[in-house]
Amino acid sequence: MERVRARDAAAFEALYDEYHRLVYGLALRVLGDPGGAEDVTQAVFLKIWDSPALFRGGNFGAWIARVTRNRCFDVLRSRAVRAEGDFPDAMPLDDSIEDQAIANVDGARVRDALAQLPHEQREPIELGFFGGATQSEIARQTGMPLGTIKTRIRTGLRRLRNVLEGAVTV
Amino acid sequence: MTTHDELLDSVAAYALGILPANEAAEVVAHLRTCQQCEREYRLLRPAVTAVAYSSEVCADAASGAAVASPLLKARIMKRVRADAERSARRTSRVWPAYAFAAACLVFAIVTGLADLSLKDRLDRDQARSAQQAQTIADLMAPDSKRHTFAHGEVLVRGQRLYIAMHDMPMPPKGKVYQAWTMTKGEKTVKPSMTFMPASTGMTVVQLPEAATTLAAVAVSIEPDGGSLQPTSKPIAMVTL
Repeated sequence: MERVRARDAAAFEALYDEYHRLVYGLALRVLGDPGGAEDVTQAVFLKIWDSPALFRGGNFGAWIARVTRNRCFDVLRSRAVRAEGDFPDAMPLDDSIEDQAIANVDGARVRDALAQLPHEQREPIELGFFGGATQSEIARQTGMPLGTIKTRIRTGLRRLRNVLEGAVTV
Repeated sequence: MTTHDELLDSVAAYALGILPANEAAEVVAHLRTCQQCEREYRLLRPAVTAVAYSSEVCADAASGAAVASPLLKARIMKRVRADAERSARRTSRVWPAYAFAAACLVFAIVTGLADLSLKDRLDRDQARSAQQAQTIADLMAPDSKRHTFAHGEVLVRGQRLYIAMHDMPMPPKGKVYQAWTMTKGEKTVKPSMTFMPASTGMTVVQLPEAATTLAAVAVSIEPDGGSLQPTSKPIAMVTL
């Protein structure tokens, strides 16, 4: 990122090559259409090029994923698919807590790890993260009590982390 | 009132980014003061990043998986390369211009001191000349560290930090440009000096703060006299 800040196009191209599959894939999953996903991918990368100082350090992959998800929900709001108030809050972009604990994260490995979660844990995580549903909406959609949904999300995330770390699952 | 256990229960949902704004704000405030919940948040965040990566598309288009069009990269890189070339051309001509702007500024200050005694004026002339020479040397030095933003650069040499900007519009009536600094280890900015562009749209200012103590510098447009907190979106923000 230092070289990108110095307006180095080659460094930016390397950054694009490294992360565009994450950005495009996430946008495609949230928006559901390739055209919209490409628009978001372009907007995210050009935003990074125009304002590299927005990234304040830490795990770049985690950061760009949050930028992408927030941007996707902006797009959905602009399409007036749902009222703005129905969407969860934007994910924080400026905290320094980092996500380096899980090494060698890649799509295939995580998909395998997610597949190991019981359906009742995976479902609320995916409805919330990709679908933009709040935990109350997930409770309504699944017909489960809110407290149960909270517990399942928490247990699912802990379990996912443990699976990816190769630890004994909870 | 929300209890600690209820907030701890909401930390996972916050980490996943699925809380409404009001509930998210409550969890954020709690995380600042509760080590147990903050540990829980740190524990869960990598799993959330992993969820994002689960949607990463395959690198192999031949597999039939969805991939972004190569034309997308071409579009983005066309714009980026054009910007980079413009930036390189600007840098090669703009730093001598910044140095000239700095020299003119100091000259204007020196010639404005008509009411002082001859000795005072000579003393001040010498001090200003030394400052001018230092500024110009810093602006042109190859070992100065430069951080580029859209209409300028932040330049650091040793403890000295300059903001040099070009093509600056005059701020609206009653407004000025104001610099902000963030000290290392802190999360909020402090007000620094205010300034106005020259008629050429160019300015060079040296901030009074020691560069090595700073983590970031920003510039925004503020009411005349400056603000204690930014009241507008920064027009420049540079992490040092």
